[in-house]
Amino acid sequence: MTLPLLITLSVMLTFALVGPLLARGLPPAIATRLLVPACLVVGASAVWALLTVGFTWVAQLGPVSRYGDWSPEQLRADTPFPTIIAVGCGLVAVGSVTQAGVVGTRRVRRMIAVRNACDQLGTPGSLVVLDNERPDAFATPGAGGRIVVTTGLLRALTAAERRALLAHEAAHLAHRHAWWLLATDVAAAANPLLRPTAAAIEHAVERWADEEAAKAVTDRRLVARTLARTALLTRASTVPATGLAASGGDVPCRVRALLAPPPRPRILPLTVVLALLITSAVAAATVQHRGDQLLDRAGAAPTSQPTTHHHHKR
Amino acid sequence: METGRRARGTLEQEVVAALAAAQRPMTPAEVRDQLGGDLAYTTVMTVLARLSEKGLVTRKRVGRAYAYTAIRDEAEVTARQMQKLLDARDDRAAVLSRFVGTLTDEDERLLVDLLRHAEGDDQG
Repeated sequence: MTLPLLITLSVMLTFALVGPLLARGLPPAIATRLLVPACLVVGASAVWALLTVGFTWVAQLGPVSRYGDWSPEQLRADTPFPTIIAVGCGLVAVGSVTQAGVVGTRRVRRMIAVRNACDQLGTPGSLVVLDNERPDAFATPGAGGRIVVTTGLLRALTAAERRALLAHEAAHLAHRHAWWLLATDVAAAANPLLRPTAAAIEHAVERWADEEAAKAVTDRRLVARTLARTALLTRASTVPATGLAASGGDVPCRVRALLAPPPRPRILPLTVVLALLITSAVAAATVQHRGDQLLDRAGAAPTSQPTTHHHHKR
Repeated sequence: METGRRARGTLEQEVVAALAAAQRPMTPAEVRDQLGGDLAYTTVMTVLARLSEKGLVTRKRVGRAYAYTAIRDEAEVTARQMQKLLDARDDRAAVLSRFVGTLTDEDERLLVDLLRHAEGDDQG
């Protein structure tokens, strides 16, 4: 049981380390579609394995062992984990699930609030023009979100640049980027080690929209110029130290990527992600299987006191 | 430059954006000139008529043609809500997909360089 646990955890660590590299090595749409589920699977596998280990201690507690109808003594003798390890694993797992729940709930609530705010504004997917001198543009969450652009930005851009901007924001809506980002943030909340990977995914999502815009206007350079000009305009008009959201990504990096040829899928990063995913899931399943075996053996042993038979199903 | 075909909704958005950017009413011919010569005049007319029906633009007769203006203050309350979103520095801002993030001084220098490069290449 120790070995598969260590495998699960080292796969998670490996993924946390190479995740940002993988995100950069893949075309952005593939990177997002692959790495977001990967974060969730690797993260959930680790949590599941830790929970199982934690349960080897919980199962020794009087009421639990009576309910499960197994012998706590036998379990204590058989388990490879000292109490402190088992308790530690359990606490980490519970903390991680709680954190994911808190962050996920808060985020969904914000998304709903923003959605309600734009309910009466335009139609789903429509452009909302704000009479504001400050150049700014964003898409609100959901496939039926709105594209919001200020008159300040619209006036500063040429017709071609406006088209690139609208195509970028429309891509956010069409590919439901808000949901990919929500899943990423929940995974990173559950496991802080995944934060660098989550940041790389956020960047990939912006790049994804950039590439879609480049496809729509059939001009990568135009999208690059639109991005660079908008970022410079925004900076020029923003009072320093307004803590705007970090979304919007690393602009110079996005511009450089657009000035280069479109990215092509590569086999190596794909293989690495798939290998890590499979290993992680199999190892976590093995931890659980071994945990079940442990309980079965303890169940077969004579219990210290006779009880009515409950069949514990897990 | 080859500009590619636009979806119907995309073209509507581009027309609204062009009208909103202009400080004065625009005729269909002016809108078409702005959006690029590959668009048929009738296409622009159709889009403008549809936008007018939806109440997204207003028109008034100027000489023999109509001139169109984007409607600004359709719903004061919701517009104000959007403005608040614009200024949000909390979690609400985190659920928005902003076009560009904030720049550091270093980013700014890099971008100016990249922009000069890109524009130089365009002219060359």
